Amino acid sequence: MKFDILIAGVGGQGVVLASRLLATAAMDAGFHVATAETIGMAQREGSVTSHVRIGDDVCGSLIPQGKADLLIGLEPAETARNLLFLGKDGNMVVNEHAIMPSTQGCDEYDPEMILDFLKSSCPGTITADFTELAKDAGTYKAANVAMIAAAAGAGLLPFSTEYLWGVLEKMIPEKYRDVNRRVFDRAIESVSGNNRKVINKD
Amino acid sequence: MTLTGKRILMGNEAIAFGAMKAGLQIASGYPGTPSSEVMETIISHAKEYGIYAEWATNEKVALETAVGAAYSGANAIVTMKQVGLNVASDPLMSLSYIGVKGSLVILVSDDPGPHSSQTEQDTRAFGHFSNIPVLDPSTPQEAYDMAKLAFKLSHELETPVILRTTTRVSHGCADVIIEDIDPVPRDIEGFVKDTRWTIFPKLTAQRHPLLEELQVKMSDRFSEYFTDNSFNSITKGSSNIGIAASGVSSLYVQEAIKDHPGTFSFFKTATAYPFPEKAALDFMKGISDLIVVEELDPYMEEQFLQIAGRHHLTINIHGKKDGSFSFSGEYDVDVVIDGINRALDKTGSKTCRFSHSIAAIKAEDIPSLPIRAPTLCAGCMHRTVFYGFKKAAAKMRSKTGVDSVFSGDIGCYTLGNARPLNMVNTCLCMGAGISIAAGLSHTQEFGNGLNAKQVAFIGDSTFFHSGIAAVVSAVYNNANITIAVLDNRTTAMTGHQPHPGIGITAMGSPAKMIDIAEVLKSCGVGMVKTIEADDLDKCMDIATEAMKFEGPSAVVFKGKCVAICKGTGQYIVDEDKCTGCKLCISQLGCPAIFSIPSGLPVIQDTCSGCGLCAQICPSDAIVLKEVSQ
Repeated sequence: MKFDILIAGVGGQGVVLASRLLATAAMDAGFHVATAETIGMAQREGSVTSHVRIGDDVCGSLIPQGKADLLIGLEPAETARNLLFLGKDGNMVVNEHAIMPSTQGCDEYDPEMILDFLKSSCPGTITADFTELAKDAGTYKAANVAMIAAAAGAGLLPFSTEYLWGVLEKMIPEKYRDVNRRVFDRAIESVSGNNRKVINKD
Repeated sequence: MTLTGKRILMGNEAIAFGAMKAGLQIASGYPGTPSSEVMETIISHAKEYGIYAEWATNEKVALETAVGAAYSGANAIVTMKQVGLNVASDPLMSLSYIGVKGSLVILVSDDPGPHSSQTEQDTRAFGHFSNIPVLDPSTPQEAYDMAKLAFKLSHELETPVILRTTTRVSHGCADVIIEDIDPVPRDIEGFVKDTRWTIFPKLTAQRHPLLEELQVKMSDRFSEYFTDNSFNSITKGSSNIGIAASGVSSLYVQEAIKDHPGTFSFFKTATAYPFPEKAALDFMKGISDLIVVEELDPYMEEQFLQIAGRHHLTINIHGKKDGSFSFSGEYDVDVVIDGINRALDKTGSKTCRFSHSIAAIKAEDIPSLPIRAPTLCAGCMHRTVFYGFKKAAAKMRSKTGVDSVFSGDIGCYTLGNARPLNMVNTCLCMGAGISIAAGLSHTQEFGNGLNAKQVAFIGDSTFFHSGIAAVVSAVYNNANITIAVLDNRTTAMTGHQPHPGIGITAMGSPAKMIDIAEVLKSCGVGMVKTIEADDLDKCMDIATEAMKFEGPSAVVFKGKCVAICKGTGQYIVDEDKCTGCKLCISQLGCPAIFSIPSGLPVIQDTCSGCGLCAQICPSDAIVLKEVSQ
C-alpha cells in the first residue's frame, strides 16, 4: 500500500499542522509514514507545501510529480500551483477561500477562474469555503482541520475518521478542543452528500 | 519516561533522542534553520535527564563551549546550520588536531535548495577539509541511530564527529523506533591538566601525522560497515551499470529504480567522510559505468574518480562533472530520474530508461498564478522602522542631496528587501550589515557622485551573534554610520529562542540581561537612543536625528514579535472616507491588506492591530474595529 497526500497553502494557514495530524493518524492506524514540510523563511505569507507519504515502502519524503493520491489545497492558487503532483486517478479537496497576495500585481489573480479550472481538471473535486465553515464554527484558523476532516468524511483517506479525531484530541490544547470538534463535525457533515470513495488498503 | 517503541518524530527530534540515549550531558548551539529543533528537543527534556543545555551567542562560542565540556570527559553536542559552521570553523580546524576526551558530536544541517539559507554549501566538504568524520543519514530513523553511533565513534577515536543532515532529514517526520533513556546520573571525569590541550606549533607538528593515520583507520572502519552495518550497503545488479548515492539521495534513487528491480548495482553509504575507499574499490570492479547521485558538491564523485585513477580502472563515472546532474538545487525523484536517464544516454547502453509518473494535468495547462513571495508578517515592528527610515532618508535626500544606503542582515528583517519597502541594499551574512556599512562609509562618494549616509539594520540576536565586534571596529575606525537595532525581544526567524538581551536562559532560568543600548554606549557610539517602534512619526524623527549625526550613531527600536504576542485589535477601512488612493497597499506591503480589482482596500482577519496603515492614511479612513460584545 502506498498513499501520498500533498497539502498546499499559504504560510500561516496551518499546512504543517495538517500534515502532522494526518501523519500521526496514519501511524496510529498502523502505517509507516514520511513527511516533508516547509519550515523557515517561506513560512509567512509564502507558498508552502507539505508532503505526507503513507504506506509500507520506506521512500524519500518528497512525492514525485504525478504520484499524489490526494491533494488538499487550502487556497485555490496554491492548489493549482501543485497540480502537477496529482496522479491521474487522484482526488482533490479545495478551499474556495482565496488569499490575495499583498504586493502589487494582485489584480492578476482571479480565484473564481482558478476554481473553475480546478473543477474541470479533476471532476470529482470537493470544494467549499472551509475558512468560512471554520469561522462559523468558532475560528477561521481551523480551516486546516475542516479540510482534513472533509477528506476523511468523504472517504478519501486510507484510515477512518476515528484515528484522525483521536490525534486531534491528543494534539490540540484543551481550551481549543471544543471549537475544533465543532469544525471537525461540520466539515464531515458538509461532505456527507458526496459519493464516498473506497480506498484499497492492500 | 517510557519511550521504547514507535513514535512520530521529526529528524531533528530523532537526533536529540539519539543523543540523549547515547548519554548526552552538555549541549550548546546557535539556532539556524534547519537545525534548531535538535536543541529545542534537548532543552525540553534537559531537566528530566540531567542535561545542561544552552543557546550560545554564536556558533564559534557554542563549539568552544562544547569542546570545553568534552575536554572534561563529558558527552557533548553542538548544533548549527551549514553557514554556522563557517563561523565555528576557526576552532574546528584546530580541534581536529587536538581531539577530544569524552565525546563531541557536531550537528550541522545543510540546506540544498536552498530553502532558508544564504548558501548551498556542503558540510561533507568541511569534514574533508578539517579531517573530521562525517555521518550522513537518509531518514529520521537513521538520524536517530547515527546520532548514537556518532557519540560512540567520537569516544572511541577521541575525535569530534560531524553528524550532517539535509533539510529533508532534519525537517521530515517519520515513524521512528526509539528506546528508553537511561535516567542514571552519569558522572563527568573532570578536566585533567595536560599539554595535549594547548595547541602550539610543536604540538601541531606532532599531532598531524597521527591525524592522517586516523583518516585511513576511519576509512577502513567505514568500509567494514558494508558487511556489518545497515547504514552502508552494496546490492549487486545484473547489468554492468552501478549507481552510488549517499544521504537522502539514496532514497530518491531507490524509488526511481524500483520499476527495474535487480538491474543496477547500488552503493549506498551514510559514512560520507573519510570515504570508504576499500568498499568503493570492491564495488567498482566489474562495473563499466558508475552513476553518482548526490545533492550539493560532487564530493563522492570526486572520491570515485580518484579511486578509478589510482587503480587504473576502466570505468566511466557520471554525475555532476559530466553534466548528467545539476550542481545546484535540491534533488527529488523526478530530478534523479532525469539525471540517471542523461547518464544512461552517455553510457550508450541499451538498458531501460526511467519514466515519470503521469500527472492529472499537463504543466502548460495550468493558468498563470500570482507570485507569493515571503514577506514581513502583518503588524511586524520592522515594517514601521523600515518605513520610518525610508521616509526620513527621502526627506534628507531632497533637502541636502545626501542619499542613503541600507545594509541589511540575516533574520526576519532580511524580508525588508521585499517590495514595496525595498529597504535592503546589501545582505551578506550574520553581522555583516554593520561592517559593510562601515566599509561603504570609507568610500568617498556614492554612485552618481552624491555623498551617502550609511545605515545598518541588525536584529537583537544577530547583534549578540556577531554585531558587537563590528560595532567596535566601526567606532575605532571612525566609520560614519547609523546602526538601527531591530529589537523584537526574540530570535524570531528560527523559532523564538531566547538570547542575552532577554534575561532568560535556554533552560528557563533568569539571567543577567545584557542591555543593547548600554553595549553600544560602552563601545563608544556617539549617539545612542532607545525608542518603542510603534509610532511612525517618532521613528522618522529619530531616524533623521541619527542619520544627521556625524560619526557612529545608533537607535535601538524596541517592539514585539507578532508571531508570539497577541494582537492588539484589528483595523478596518471606513468605506465612506476611503478615497481609494491605495497608499496603504502601495507603500507598506502588509499581507493583511489587499486590493480587489477596481475596489477599495480590504483588511483581513490576519491584521494584528499595529496601526501603521492608519498612521499613513491621508484620509483617516483606516480605523480600529469595534469589538462586538
